[in-house]
Amino acid sequence: MNEFFQAYPTYWPEWGPRLASAARVTAEISFFGFLLALVLAAGLVAMNRSRLPALRMASGAVVEFLRAVPLLALLLALYFGLPAVGLTLSGYWAGILGLGLQGAAYVAEVFRGGLDSVHKGQREAALASGMTPFQTFTAVVLPQALRVMLPPLVNCYVSLLKDSSLCALIATDELMLAARQISSEYFLPLHIFLLVGLIYFAIAFPLSMFSRLLGRKLSRGRRALGST
Amino acid sequence: MPDALPHILSTLLAGAVTVAQVASGAALIAFSLGLLLALATVFTTWPAVRVAIGAYIEWMRNVPALAHLFLLYFGLASVGVRFSPKAAAIVGLGLVGAAVLCDVFAAGIRALHVGQREAGLAVGLTPFQTLRCIVLPQMFRLTLPSIGNYTSQLIKDTSIASAIAAPEIMFYARNLVTSTFQTPLIYASAIVLYASIVFPVAWMFARMERRLGVGR
Repeated sequence: MNEFFQAYPTYWPEWGPRLASAARVTAEISFFGFLLALVLAAGLVAMNRSRLPALRMASGAVVEFLRAVPLLALLLALYFGLPAVGLTLSGYWAGILGLGLQGAAYVAEVFRGGLDSVHKGQREAALASGMTPFQTFTAVVLPQALRVMLPPLVNCYVSLLKDSSLCALIATDELMLAARQISSEYFLPLHIFLLVGLIYFAIAFPLSMFSRLLGRKLSRGRRALGST
Repeated sequence: MPDALPHILSTLLAGAVTVAQVASGAALIAFSLGLLLALATVFTTWPAVRVAIGAYIEWMRNVPALAHLFLLYFGLASVGVRFSPKAAAIVGLGLVGAAVLCDVFAAGIRALHVGQREAGLAVGLTPFQTLRCIVLPQMFRLTLPSIGNYTSQLIKDTSIASAIAAPEIMFYARNLVTSTFQTPLIYASAIVLYASIVFPVAWMFARMERRLGVGR
């Protein structure tokens, strides 16, 4: 057992810098992917609440479609398929786009659930007391929806972070690809994949805990209204 | 280009068989192990058991599935434990799924009123009968939406098995690309094929939820 762990101090000077720069790429693609997901999801939800039935249907169809397609298929289609129609993306940007598109479908569900959780009387009361629709949304509806939305949003980010590992398969220089390269150079797959698993865990686990804590804090003393 | 389509579709459909095998194998492990762990964590009187199951769940849920597959397929091979790609995918996705479903099932059982179990025992059912006839059916009804989501997710996640060369849809898609160069057509077909597997499954669960009056 001791022999097993001796490999880590021996090879750390060589592995460490490579894994660190790969971890930075993982952090970047998951962060920008999530940012894109937030923006796209806001658009999808706005469409979903539109007065035009066509927009509502389009929004629903896009969400359903994105939820039914594996991320890997999306990534490969963006990376290898788009050049055929004249648009070439690097693995880095195809990864961000793929993660953003798929993430948008999940984030849109969270947004929708959060907004639906605010009783419609809140909005009516705000409008009746003379607030503009914009004020009503930003000062009354959104703050209440955020309490419900924040914990699942953190979970969405954790999922997206884990899913970013699939970008290794479209040659993005992120953690999983670095792990595969190191494992084929040093022939220590068990060591390296265990280590990379731990790196993901070290980022994802505190976030998951934070989401749970947030959920408990934000729902404290809150009586559900009309949500039985 | 239209001539290529039947060839592409028939090749990808061969991958759909592997998708079905990996998904059902993984589901079998995930549901049985998940239920076992959920019952253990809810009803155990040993804190150590709860801590161990909690650690297992956190490890499985906070590490990418791809890392689990690589660990099983490449990592264990280096110490002499060899899995075929398909077996590694089934075990890997199954173990991850068990952690997901354990959380779902445990929350479902905890959401039931204690009185359900107490009443079952009071009318003379054995603890096992109470579990089988009173607790579990209600738990399944409560958790059906989550089970449906998990199942759709599992079918999509089988695509990851192509990374360890399990011959499923994405694996064949990549092979086809190198032999026919019909790249956009192949990936579009693969996407449509996945959607046409996931949609009916999701629809079936939605129908079951309506029938059982989930969320009544």
